[in-house]
Amino acid sequence: MEAIKINVNKQIDGYTFSIAPSIRELIKKWFPDSHPANNIFVSYDTKSDFEAYYRRLETYIYPALLGVNNQKEFNKKVDEILFIDTQTGSLLHKYKTTD
Amino acid sequence: MKRNYHLYLGKAGHLNIMSEFLIRGWNVAIPEVDIGDDIFVVQDDNGILRRVQVKTATAAVRKNSFSGQFKIPLTQLKNISSILVHYVFIIRCGNHWTKPVIIRQDYLLEHWQNDKVGSEHKDFLKLYFSFADNKVECSGYDFSKYVSDFSDFPLAEV
Repeated sequence: MEAIKINVNKQIDGYTFSIAPSIRELIKKWFPDSHPANNIFVSYDTKSDFEAYYRRLETYIYPALLGVNNQKEFNKKVDEILFIDTQTGSLLHKYKTTD
Repeated sequence: MKRNYHLYLGKAGHLNIMSEFLIRGWNVAIPEVDIGDDIFVVQDDNGILRRVQVKTATAAVRKNSFSGQFKIPLTQLKNISSILVHYVFIIRCGNHWTKPVIIRQDYLLEHWQNDKVGSEHKDFLKLYFSFADNKVECSGYDFSKYVSDFSDFPLAEV
């Protein structure tokens, strides 16, 4: 089981979530039908609106970013998703795929 | 050497790289306000925009090789936004420019974080490129695959 690191960059108007090229290659190797994205931008107001009605945005960001459809198979390989601040290197949020 | 020669060298490097993009059918522009990006490179037909940062150096020549040293602000390198920066490194060696070494921001960031490429010095990443036997190395890591890597700037179709 592995942990996947997602970079979070706070900008003036929102967050950019991204994964490293090696993570993209790893995901493509594990799941050839996947379509991992370079990055996803979410504005601050979208994030706060979303979280008022649903739950933490990060829960929905990682499937979109990694582009893996088969969640069951994904959970067999990855147990943790770590959201890391790119500027400081600090851990912003940790998500257990079994949660 | 002329006073402030590095400014002339830097501009010459920009113009050299701008001409490469133009030859490939990509339009180029220099931002009116300098906020870090050197060149905007645009595909006119569909509006695809790429941000390019050009880094120039003069070669330090040795017997069978030469090298160039560059520095990049770490805040810029770590600032991943929806449009990634392409770093273009060129070295003036004698009367010629080397082929450009083109690395997209996320790849360079990963080389620094995972492969320990370059060295950190006062909020800058220092990169030392060594050219020998048709091979380019940085911190012992082979960067030859990035030489003239225009894959993100494909030739515009007629």
